Amino acid sequence: MKYFMFVVEDPTAEPYIPEEDNIAEWVEEMTARGINQSGNRLRPAIDARTVRRRGDDLLVSDGPFTESREVIAGYDIIECADLDEAIEVASKHPMARFGSIELRPFWDWNA
Amino acid sequence: MEYLMFVVVDPTGEPSDESPEAWVEELDAKGIRLHGDRLRPVEDATTVRVRNGQVIVTDGPFTESKEWIAGYDLLECDSLEQAVEVASKHPMARAGAIEVRAAWPIDFADFPESAK
Repeated sequence: MKYFMFVVEDPTAEPYIPEEDNIAEWVEEMTARGINQSGNRLRPAIDARTVRRRGDDLLVSDGPFTESREVIAGYDIIECADLDEAIEVASKHPMARFGSIELRPFWDWNA
Repeated sequence: MEYLMFVVVDPTGEPSDESPEAWVEELDAKGIRLHGDRLRPVEDATTVRVRNGQVIVTDGPFTESKEWIAGYDLLECDSLEQAVEVASKHPMARAGAIEVRAAWPIDFADFPESAK
């Protein structure tokens, strides 16, 4: 089953300790297990643009689509046997501790 | 350069039942859209946090909001302006909103040896 992982900055998280950020190890393990399909860090939310068309107007605003203390900092696409495995994979990501991770199943158009 | 588009359901959007199919076909043909998909609704989201060594699993998205991400597309564009232009043509720009975010690849060489 395919999941989209939102990697989120969360003010309730534990303080960031660079020496304990094992993201390289996580990528290596999840790639070796055939779980991590693709993913990336994203430029900070301040560099986001949100695009809306309303009537004849094109509205482009700076920043994310919603104001929130939690901010999406990156993403990964993972292929797991089930939700339990996806939770295990997410819990090993350093941002589960230094932020939070949202898992969302893919919803195949053909399903 | 890669740009990630979040396709957002926004209650301020205009009613529309236009399918994104034509948009997908055009951008796939141009080599601009790398991949993308629909995601299950936020009711099916699971959020995972580790606090004090404990794994905490909750149902629902990382934040409560009237707007929510319903899908994504990954684009290869020359500039943010081009990505915004591509996003503005997606039917959900009218029916909802599209957030455009530039990829920012991690240079693993920057990581302390102790974290590897």
